[in-house]
Formats: sequence, C-alpha cells, structure tokens
Amino acid sequence: MADVDRYEPRGDRGHRGGYGGKKRRLREDDDSYDRRDRPQRRRYEEPTGTRLRKQLLAIAESPLRNAEDEALNIAKITAENWDDQYIKDTFCEISILLVLEQPFKIPFVAACVLHANTQNSEITTEILARAGAKAQGFLETGGWKEVKLLLRFFACLHSLFEDAGVFPILDELFNRAVDLQTASSEDTLGLELVKIILFTIPYIMATSTSESEQQKAAQLLNKTDIVASTPHMLDALVDPYINNEEEENRPMGFQTILTLLQKQLQTEAANEWKLACIPRPYSAVVTSGSDENGDAPTPAKHPFPSITVPTTVKLGPKALFPEIYFSLYADQDIESVPPTSNIAASLIRDTLVDTMNHLDFNRNAVAKFLIEMDCYWAPDTFVKRATPFDKLRAVPENKSTWKPEDLAVDAVFSQLLQLPTPEHKLVYYHSVITESCKIAPAAIAPSLGRAIRFLFRNVDAMDMELFYRFMEWFAHHLSNFEFRWKWTEWLDELDQSDLNPKKAFIIGALDIEIRLSFAKRIRETLPVQYAPLIPEGRDKDTPDFKYADDSTPYAEEGREILALLKKKASEDEIQTVMDKISAKAAEHNVQDVLVPCTDAYMTSVCYIGAKSISHVLSCIDRCKERLLAIGPQSEPARRQIISSVVDYWRDQPGVAVNIVDKLLNYTIITPVSVIEWALTDRLDRGRALARSQTYELVATTMAKVMNRVRQIVD
Amino acid sequence: MIPFHIRNTVDRLDRPSSYAASKYKKRKRDDGETDANRAPSPTLSEKLSDATTLYVGNLSFYTTEEQIYTLFSLISPPRRVVMGLDRYQKTPCGFCFVEFYTHDDALQCLKYIGGTKLDERIIRTDLDEGFVEGRQYGRGKSGGQVRDEYRDEFDPGRGGYGKAVKEGYGEEYR
Repeated sequence: MADVDRYEPRGDRGHRGGYGGKKRRLREDDDSYDRRDRPQRRRYEEPTGTRLRKQLLAIAESPLRNAEDEALNIAKITAENWDDQYIKDTFCEISILLVLEQPFKIPFVAACVLHANTQNSEITTEILARAGAKAQGFLETGGWKEVKLLLRFFACLHSLFEDAGVFPILDELFNRAVDLQTASSEDTLGLELVKIILFTIPYIMATSTSESEQQKAAQLLNKTDIVASTPHMLDALVDPYINNEEEENRPMGFQTILTLLQKQLQTEAANEWKLACIPRPYSAVVTSGSDENGDAPTPAKHPFPSITVPTTVKLGPKALFPEIYFSLYADQDIESVPPTSNIAASLIRDTLVDTMNHLDFNRNAVAKFLIEMDCYWAPDTFVKRATPFDKLRAVPENKSTWKPEDLAVDAVFSQLLQLPTPEHKLVYYHSVITESCKIAPAAIAPSLGRAIRFLFRNVDAMDMELFYRFMEWFAHHLSNFEFRWKWTEWLDELDQSDLNPKKAFIIGALDIEIRLSFAKRIRETLPVQYAPLIPEGRDKDTPDFKYADDSTPYAEEGREILALLKKKASEDEIQTVMDKISAKAAEHNVQDVLVPCTDAYMTSVCYIGAKSISHVLSCIDRCKERLLAIGPQSEPARRQIISSVVDYWRDQPGVAVNIVDKLLNYTIITPVSVIEWALTDRLDRGRALARSQTYELVATTMAKVMNRVRQIVD
Repeated sequence: MIPFHIRNTVDRLDRPSSYAASKYKKRKRDDGETDANRAPSPTLSEKLSDATTLYVGNLSFYTTEEQIYTLFSLISPPRRVVMGLDRYQKTPCGFCFVEFYTHDDALQCLKYIGGTKLDERIIRTDLDEGFVEGRQYGRGKSGGQVRDEYRDEFDPGRGGYGKAVKEGYGEEYR
C-alpha cells in the first residue's frame, strides 16, 4: 500500500520516497527491503569490489579514522586486485566521480592514487588516462566547473609528474583568457579561466614546492594580476548592497572572488606557501621517497596526460557573471570565519559551494557534508563543532576560532543571495538550511540566528530582489520549525511607518507565513504587540461581496450579475444588466463605461470562486469569452480586471497574485497590463513599492515572460 | 559478469519510489521472490519518465489548496491542484495531486519539497502517472485513505484514530 508507513526521513540514508517508519502490521509490505533478500549465511563477507566501493566513497568521512590510513588501505586493495576489471572500473570511476561531485575529497582521492602508485604504477597510468580524457571532454564542451576540479585533482598529484605537470595547461588557459578579455570588455569567460588557474595553484604548491614550481607559480601570478585586479563592468550588477555608501559604511565589503584570490595567493607566495588549511594525507609518499628499509624504489613518475585546450573556448551551458565574495561574518570583531585576507576563505568557500551545487539531488547528503566539513581540511583548521560564539574569545591566541557552522551558513546564503541568480531554484537552498537545522540543531541554529540578525539589520541597504528572497526564505524556514522566532527582538520596528524597510519586511514575512498556514495560528506565535499586523479580515475565508452593501455604486446591478452568473444565465441576460450599468455610468460622466461593468463582472467571478483556486478557475473558464473580449475593447477595463481581483482579495494578497497568474495564462490580461497596473495605476506616490504584493506581481509576470521567451529560443 | 556502473556518489532523491509501482504489484505469498529493490517495470518507468504530476501525501484534512499552491509555487506555479476527497463525504482526506507544466518541475519537488513541512506536517511527494477522474477519491472502506482505516495512532489532523479502530472492530484486524 502506498501510504501505510509513517513518513520519517533519516538524514544518513538519504530519504527515498517515504518508507522507513515502523511496521505496524504483520501483513507483508511491498517495501520490506532488509529481511527477505539477504542470504542467511552467518558470516557474510562482502565481495572485494563492494568493500572497495564503500571505503572509497566514505573516505575521510569519519573523524575517528585516520584519512591517510584509509587511503593506504584503499590503495592496497586496489593494487592487490588490479587484474580484476571490476576493481579497475570501481577504483577509477568512483575516484573521478568523487572529484567531480565531492570536491572536498579531492586531496584524499589523490592520496589513494599516490599510495597506489608506490605499489603498482599501472594504476596511476590508468586513472591519469581516464581523468585526462574526461578533462578533454569538458574543455571541449565548456564544462568549466568540471575542468577546474579535474585540474585540482592533477594538482594534488603533482609530485608524480615527470614533466611540468599542470602548468602548461594553465599557461594555455591564460592565453585564451587574454584573447577573450582583449576582444570584449564584457567578457566573463576569460575571468572564469583565470579563476580556474588561481584555484589550481594552491593545490600544486601544497603538494610540492620545488624551485621550478615556485618560479612557475610566481610567473603565472604576475600574468594574472592585471586580469584579476581590474574591476569588471558587470560588477555593480552583482552587488548585493546598494552601492551609494562610502566603503566603510557598507554592511559587507565588496570584493570579487577573483581579486581576493589573487591577493591571497600573493600573500601565500610571500610566506613560502604555508597553505595551512589544505590537508596532506600523503606525507608518507611525498616527503620520503623510500620506506623504512631504504631499498624501495622511488615512486614511478608519469607524463602528464595529453590534454589540449581548444583554440576557441566555449562558454558552456550557463551564462557567467563576476562573483563577489559574500560573507555575513567575515572581517568582523570576532574571527568566526577566515578573514578575507586568508586564502582559506576562498578555498573552503569554493568547495562548499561546488558540493552544494553538484549534489542538489540529495540535500540530506549536502547538509551532512556541511556539518562535517572539518573532516576534510587540515587538523585544527576549525574550532570544535558547536562551540558557542561567546566562547570564541576564550580560545588561546594561536588557535583557530573558525566555526564550521558559520562557514556552512555563510556558504548557503552566498548562493541564496547571489545575483543575478544562483545555480538552482531558491527553494533548494532553503531545503539545505532546513536539513542542516534538523540534523544539527544545536550547532546550526545559533549561527543562523546571527545571520538573520545581520541581514535584518542591513535590510534597508539590500538589493530589492535580495530583500524579497530573504523575506521568502525566512517565512518558509520558520514554517518548518513551528514558526518559532524571537519576535520580541523586533518590537521597536513596529512603531515605524509601513514604508520603513524593516517594518515592510516583517509585514511581508508574516503574510507569507499566513499563506503557508492560517491567520489564527500565526497570531498565536507572535507577541500581542504584533496583533495589529494581522487584522481580523485575514481570518475570513470568503471576503464580503461589496455589492451587497447598497452604498456601493452599482450595488443593485452588481447583485444581479452575481445572481445571473450563479444560475449560469445566458449571455444576453448578462448583457442587459451590463447595459444598465453602462447607462448609469454615462449619466455620471464616467469616462470609460466598460470599467464599472468589468468591475461588477469580475468581482462576482471572484466571489463565486472564493472557496478555492480550483473554484475560481472553473468560474473563469466559464466566463472566459466575455473576459477575453474586454482587453481588446478597452485597456483601462482590462486593468480593471486586475483591480477587481486585488481589491476583492485585499486581505489575502497571495490569492490575488495566484489569480492574476492564472488570468495571464488565459491571456485575459497581458504582462504589460500587470506591470502598468502595479507601477503606474496603483503606485500611490510610491507607497505601493513597500508592499510585497507589488513586487510579487511584477516579478512573477516578468519570470513568466522570460520563461516563454526561453522556451521559444531553445 | 556485471560491469561496474555508478550514476552518482550519493543516492538521488528524484527517483520514483514504490508508490507508483504499488498498484501494479499483485498480492504476494511467502515466496521470498519479491525484490523490493528492483526498479519499477519498464512501462511504468517510461510513464514516469515524463510525469508532470505529483502525488502528495500525509496532508492534514484541513490543509487548503492555497497552502499547497503557496508551497509548491516555490518551485513553479502548478498547472492545477486536485484535492483528494473522502468518497462519501467529499471532504479533503489528506492527499492531493499537484500537476506542473514540466517534468523537471516535478523532479525538483521530489528533491527540494518532499520531506519538508506543509501546514506543519512532513509531506510525502511521489511521481504519479497523471490524474484521471475518479482517482481523487480515497480507496479505504470508510471513504478516506486506506492508511486511515487501521491506523492505531492518534492523529488530530487526520480524524484522530483510524476508522476501523474507532468503530471498535479493531481486534480482528490486528
């Protein structure tokens, strides 16, 4: 049966569609997966392939096991069974897949290869060949994320290249970047290529710092300086905070990832490439060329796989924009995340973001990796998990005060609030935060609280679209956690005018909460001082029909229209009443008589369909002939359709937005009419801009139009 | 010798679960032949490969269409929502179908919305073959969903105790 089991997601298993709860009935369930098909043998020894797969997939995940030992073990299993094609494939395919999907494991996967190399150099040959082929493929299709990660893999393997290793490719990429940048000032692909170069260098230098490598790195850094340090014309587009403040007064510094990385690398170069945060689980291989007996041969060297950068480089599947380094916690009094001067800030953020964006198909795994990020960097990079923020002051001088939870929350928000758009739907990032809070509430919740306070404090300087993203996230997030928040903190804002950004934020957030729940419930979660923000009108399921009140103009005719629509009268009968309205309107010198007619008609449709969206949809469907005829006759009347809907549902702005969306689908109204209605008719000397409904109407209409255009173009 | 194959390093949430396949499985005896981990049959996989409809379960009886629209619009405004109804009372009985315009939207729900809360209950989402008139009614004996017939836990959002338990003929069915 489909729904018998109580739905209980378990973080570590990654939920499938819903089973996993207790079995209450003896009757067999289709989904029992454990009892039937396991063999009944007592000692069940897993086949080697399975063991290898499991160990490799889980490398470095446990803080209790030493990652280097794990790598040694994996290398041993692989080397001992290298004749087996299945083992070959398991090792190579999983390694490469890990590089692409779980980039924080790249140093550890590389360690497996380095250790395996000492036992059987064929393994290295094979995996270099496969990784090289993959890199070539991505270079040709413009898969730049994948190219970056594969180059990082090669960088971690640098000690086993007999030639210049990754450097020639980096030089080639730089040449392409220069060509692109000189060809156009709007070019962003060139920036991306330089970013790849800069993100590869630290991993080379962490592995081996021979003279020649240091020289090559210095040369590269010299060349990239110009590209990385020049502001780009699209920078202002991606700035989360409105840039009319002095640099010191900005809530968050403005630096692009590229500029920061260039500076950080130059700092590291001047400090002998300490690169403290990068893990090095391959010391046994690299630092000592032979084992204790002193007679083992030095590990075999290999040529770098033959990879050629295409002469014309493709943009790839997505448009590229400059990226700024977004941080809610950086460069403040207490160093709970790496300062922007430290290369750890860039390296850790880069892997967190890549992991999040590659593994969007399993948010539970992502949340787990975020919480457990300290396993994948050098020991003591972070302070102990869930250390309270206040306790950071007590940490001894030379020890780290970086909280992994802060880095995690920072990374997710850097995507949620990325301009122009993040890689995935916004709600994906909502769900990552939700899952993180579920699996480690004590650790994440305080960091999240500080993030919310930072964003709220600076909400008046925020880009408008980001303001709404933050608001929508906040309401949706609370709906997963019983709407709990310290609302008393914001009591002062309630005295402000509704036009004040902070007040508008609160009003908008509560509105979304109510849409996800209901007015009475939300009132219960708030201090009494918030009650005026949720007037009684919101409790009503069916708003009053204005024509029931005789003081409303055309009240009688409005009621007649309603009655006719309810009994599904003929168009002629309806037209008779419409003519009555037109005549009355003309007598009162109304300019466009179709407007009050439309008002009566559409308001009646809303009232009839007040029960649910399905109801109003079926009513609109029945009335669509007349409604479609209105627009071509009179633009003001078309806009009146919108007015009637929004006015009828004035206490439930969300419902109005949904209905307007459906009317657009029917083409009863046009995108232009919505925009003009919102930003001209109803601007109310600018007051409308403080209402989230205005933004929603414009934003959803624009999104619809863009989607259509995209569909046509594709 | 089965060749090695792996699609991703972690499980994916956007695959169909047992839900859609369940109505095609015949009642089994104790034959140990059932392989619950086997993928759904080929024709079913084909149907689901461009499914735009989702089955949504574990709703409260009081969850409204508007709440469903608000949540699922975070992915994309649905084409329509069909509430699941008690066959006799014609009132909501705790499930619904949400139909999107694209298959991708439906998959994204599985990844990002399924397993989170709606109206303060964790909901279940599954790919569905598509709404057909008649499928909006519960298939339990009393008119609601089958799972509410024999449930012996108290669930205030779903009518309290299971119908059979309430009526008192629970003992025979345990």
